[in-house]
Amino acid sequence: MSGCAFDVSYVTRVPTTFEPAAPNGPNWVLQQPQSIGVGSGFPTRLRQGTHWQRAGTIPQGDVFRTGDQIVTVEASNTFEAMVVLRDNTLVGFYLPVEHSFVAATEPVKLPIQQGAQP
Amino acid sequence: MTRSIRPFRGLPPLLFALLAALFLSGCATSGATYADLQAKLPPPPPGDGRIFIYRSTVAGAAVQPSVKLNDAVIGSAVPRGFFYLDRPAGDYTISTETEVKRSLSLTLAPGQVRYVRIGIAFGFFVGHVYPELVEDAEAQSDIAGCHLTGS
Repeated sequence: MSGCAFDVSYVTRVPTTFEPAAPNGPNWVLQQPQSIGVGSGFPTRLRQGTHWQRAGTIPQGDVFRTGDQIVTVEASNTFEAMVVLRDNTLVGFYLPVEHSFVAATEPVKLPIQQGAQP
Repeated sequence: MTRSIRPFRGLPPLLFALLAALFLSGCATSGATYADLQAKLPPPPPGDGRIFIYRSTVAGAAVQPSVKLNDAVIGSAVPRGFFYLDRPAGDYTISTETEVKRSLSLTLAPGQVRYVRIGIAFGFFVGHVYPELVEDAEAQSDIAGCHLTGS
């Protein structure tokens, strides 16, 4: 599909290496809804009250997943995703199927409550 | 006095029946509905997850492309139809193609159930059909009236 005229919306994916974390690692709850752009025109929305658990790390930061909502990075194609944080700032998304990282257009400091129980 | 809206008023009955048959022939109208089947389905085999694929609207009914899982055809995007498949836990890509290919990548855990809706958008010559991952609660409402078209 590369070069297809209909692929008008795309994201830049950077191959990365994922190191899984041990269970029961750091976790937090998102205190306010957030909308994060990746340059595709389709922002990813994170819901208030969602609980996130660390799944692992990549060189770009810590990777967190949630069971409370579906997280995708959307362009002409759609990719299931996890969020990547560095110092409580969301810097992008990890795509587990593609083993790659997509940077946020603007990193966002997340309003989170650390150590919240699910 | 109430007046009913009859958009086909004046149309010869035979022509009306023909148009109706043509319209409905593009949709799944037989086979059990998801609502009927849901409680009767056995769980996926140990180590597998389940993916439901459905198309809940009749928009663009004439466009019914194949649905592929990791580039292997697994069914067709039939309006008001659904099918499902059990697969080992792992990474998958679901794709559809008309004049353009659209794909969705997703992970599947053991015992996990995922719902993928096939949507349609305007295209240049034909509609663009695309897969999207849907939250369980929304999907179960959305898919309830869809008919099983294969598995």
